[in-house]
Amino acid sequence: MVGIVDVILPIASLITFAILTLPVFKTIRKTQHRTGLTLIWFSIAFLVSGAAVANLAIQYYSLASSPSPLPFLNITLTDTPLAEFSSAFMIDGISIYMAVMFVAVSAVVLIYSMFYVDSSRRPSERYFAIMLILAAALMGAVFSGDLLTLFIFWEAAAAGSSFLMIYKKDPVSLNSTLKYLVMIIIASAFIVFGLSIVYGLTGSLNFWAVREALMVLADKSLLLIAFILIATGYAIEAAIVPFHFWLPDAYTAAPSSSAAFLSALIDQGSYYVLIRVLLFILTPPAVLNWTFMLAVMAALTMIVGNMFALIQDNVKRLIANICVADVGYNLVGITSVTALGLTGNLYFFLMGGITTALSFMAIGVISRHGFRTFDDFAGLGRKMPFVSLALVIAGLSFAGVPPFGGFMAKYLVFTAAIQANLSWLAVIGVLTSVLQVAYILRLVNYMYAKNPKDDHVIKEPKRLLIPIFILVAAIIILGLYPQIVFNFIKPITEQLKFIPQITP
Amino acid sequence: MYALLLVFALPALGVPFVYMAGKKSPRAAAILVALIALVNMALLFTTVPTILNSPNHEYVESYDWIPILESEFTLFADGISVSLAIITSVLIIVAAIFSINYMKDKKNLPVYYSLLTLLSIGLVGVFITSNLLLFYFCWELMLVPAYFIIGGWGYREPYRAAFKFFIFTHAGAVFVLLGIGAIFMVTGTTDMFDAQAALMSVSPDLVRWILLALTAGFAVKMAVVPVHMWLPDAHSEAPSPMSALLSGVIISAGAYAILRLSLGTVFPAVAGTTFGIDFLHGLTIFGVISAFFGSLIALVETDIKRLIAYSSIAHMGYVMFGLSLFPSAPIIGTVAITAAITGTVLHLINHAVSKGLFFLSAGAIMHQTEIRDIREMGGLAGKMPFTAVASTTAALSIAGTPPFACFISEFLIFVGAFEVINADGFFLLPTALMLVATVLSLAYSLRYLSHVFLGNPKSEGKKKILDVPNYMKVAMAILVILVIVLGIYPTFFVHLINTVQFI
Repeated sequence: MVGIVDVILPIASLITFAILTLPVFKTIRKTQHRTGLTLIWFSIAFLVSGAAVANLAIQYYSLASSPSPLPFLNITLTDTPLAEFSSAFMIDGISIYMAVMFVAVSAVVLIYSMFYVDSSRRPSERYFAIMLILAAALMGAVFSGDLLTLFIFWEAAAAGSSFLMIYKKDPVSLNSTLKYLVMIIIASAFIVFGLSIVYGLTGSLNFWAVREALMVLADKSLLLIAFILIATGYAIEAAIVPFHFWLPDAYTAAPSSSAAFLSALIDQGSYYVLIRVLLFILTPPAVLNWTFMLAVMAALTMIVGNMFALIQDNVKRLIANICVADVGYNLVGITSVTALGLTGNLYFFLMGGITTALSFMAIGVISRHGFRTFDDFAGLGRKMPFVSLALVIAGLSFAGVPPFGGFMAKYLVFTAAIQANLSWLAVIGVLTSVLQVAYILRLVNYMYAKNPKDDHVIKEPKRLLIPIFILVAAIIILGLYPQIVFNFIKPITEQLKFIPQITP
Repeated sequence: MYALLLVFALPALGVPFVYMAGKKSPRAAAILVALIALVNMALLFTTVPTILNSPNHEYVESYDWIPILESEFTLFADGISVSLAIITSVLIIVAAIFSINYMKDKKNLPVYYSLLTLLSIGLVGVFITSNLLLFYFCWELMLVPAYFIIGGWGYREPYRAAFKFFIFTHAGAVFVLLGIGAIFMVTGTTDMFDAQAALMSVSPDLVRWILLALTAGFAVKMAVVPVHMWLPDAHSEAPSPMSALLSGVIISAGAYAILRLSLGTVFPAVAGTTFGIDFLHGLTIFGVISAFFGSLIALVETDIKRLIAYSSIAHMGYVMFGLSLFPSAPIIGTVAITAAITGTVLHLINHAVSKGLFFLSAGAIMHQTEIRDIREMGGLAGKMPFTAVASTTAALSIAGTPPFACFISEFLIFVGAFEVINADGFFLLPTALMLVATVLSLAYSLRYLSHVFLGNPKSEGKKKILDVPNYMKVAMAILVILVIVLGIYPTFFVHLINTVQFI
């Protein structure tokens, strides 16, 4: 039996390590082997939380293999009949998959940022502590079993990430962080309003209780309002066009390590919330033709994201705009509620996260030398060969060129779209992918064809290259042999058949 | 029984070794690339007895890959694919050997040879798989290394040409991807042969779109008019060994894909309908236009490599014409391959060898004289006798003169065309026009030879012009011999190709 302790352990361990990071760093700074000890400290943190997640996964799957009525495990704090009203956790395959992904990717990003923001300087320990707390909050969000718990954890992650953006404390990042915070607060206002209506309609916030109550609801007009409010709120947070404009600003102004963390973890978390809330809970009562609306938004997001990326001159901004486009590709998968679409989505979460993180990490190394615009990138392929290679691989993976991971992700979501009778969406997706190739090649052209202003070779920091090339290896290996990931996703897709009326 | 898996694995594992060898000496890297290709060729030959003797005339290996997508790592060879794969290996060997002298003064050679190795995976792989997804992997794997080779070591504004090449063929490839996705969606399989059977029961409306998407995508790679625009730039700005591979193999891969996927897999589901017949007629028209367009521009082009590049467009016109002679009646049971299709596949082989030789000899001329404009050349026959012989062989083969290779395959295509005319009168005019086009190809070949090798030297060269160094001679000699042997004795390949049946 999966107990409440098993669920809380991964979250609690990360938070404990985050709190302990502050005093531990004080001691570490006084010693000789600062780097080594920092590395050991974070390794312990991730090993412990990884073990906690693994424990949960093993418990869950041993339970799932025995005959059990539902693959969704509800875990409540109390056993009284009022359990529906208390905070609850829910564990299923998706949440475990996401938790594993969060631990793995945040470990790589944290190692990178350890060297990137220079862990020997003073306020850096707060930065790392916040990263750990954010990972914990995200994990809480994916484990949560009612709308309120989800809201609290998710908003903690979303609003908390502003601390990562503002680390540099320069006017530009202050400005864009403010913009981000305002958007997040507006979004949460929308969501809270919507949730209160849902509570009023159903008398509960528990996922399944809400779902069942909504299915038999007689008058759906209020639900429509609640739906629109909640959808708008989460659309703002996931940066779906037309609510996307905070994202390029925020990611460009943030330090690259923060941008990597945000794009790889917070972004993927927001897609998760979209899937969970809108598709599993609020869509089934069919208040409006939501799938079609979502498809239109997906098309818009792909087009707008790529168009804006096409005209960027700042490379980091270009990558940030690709993040917007990636939201669109994810939505394509979300729109088609099929096993294939879900597989594509979950795989896209991982590959998209890795790819964006990789490109921000590479940009981080490059921008340390003051290279920002396309003109600065001229001849970079000769000056910084390894980082350039990593950036090109990330770009080609974005554009969906095999054998990199991005190809399989796009193939899956487009095939799922065709399967869901949305061929036009697949065509738009494919055409915008060609657009992606165009601007990626423009970047490659600058990096390899143009002559640099000066010809001296820049020494690339090896410590930063290690996490970068871990991700490069992941992109290539998972691209060539995606079955490694699919093995985890397979049982999850079978969950779909336990959800009645999921297909309209 | 791991022959074909090794064909994939050897170059893949060889890349780091090629890079390290290149750090020591570029020549060692080139020889390593050639050796890998040679071993691959030997491995491909080991499958030939199985293909000739087994009842299905095919050789299949299958490994687990992505079960969730019903996708296995299926490696497959039949008469057509193995012949094309063998010729591809030959061209890779030749390109590597030719590069030793040709690329001598260039920078970053270890990277060049590593990319060439990487490219060879895609080039060979695309012919020897029956899994659509793996096919697409190889299809795109031809693209990325080729982009960097053209861009990094090409002439004039190489990245511009490479960009055009990448964008055009990638745009084509995504339509192929849509087609593959649609095939998977309606049939639930990614194996070409299973899909072919399953498509027979799918509504023809959808099959039509799949057929059009796939064919359009492949036609871009094949560079048939009106989607040929990338070819003259890419082929002429690429370093010559790469041009030989581009013109010899990559565009042939497009033709192969049309034969294997569009016609072999999808077409049977619409064969016999009006749409099916119109589709073939459409291919004919594009083929004829390409043949004329390419030949006419080659007739006035003055840049030595662009001339040859346009001749490639013309020859893809022949191939397209040959493909359009595919049997249009609904196929019941198994149907033996027709003369036209044998001729077309044979033409792909012969054209690959001849055009490879043509580009290499042009590269040799450029390398020794440092001129590109054929009007400024002349009288080179006396100074570069070896190259003159090689060029003449290539040019006459391209023109379709016996006893060189392309004659026999063009002849077979026309024999096939006359067979088809009996059933479908539409083909009468196109066949007549194609015969006229062969005259044009003789004209531009002779113009090329007379401008470059005959007459008196027109401009004072900067240096004394010598004949090519030895490795270039070896590379060209291999192809000269092949062109002549294939012209006189095509039986080996004809035999192999004729074992293929369309189900």
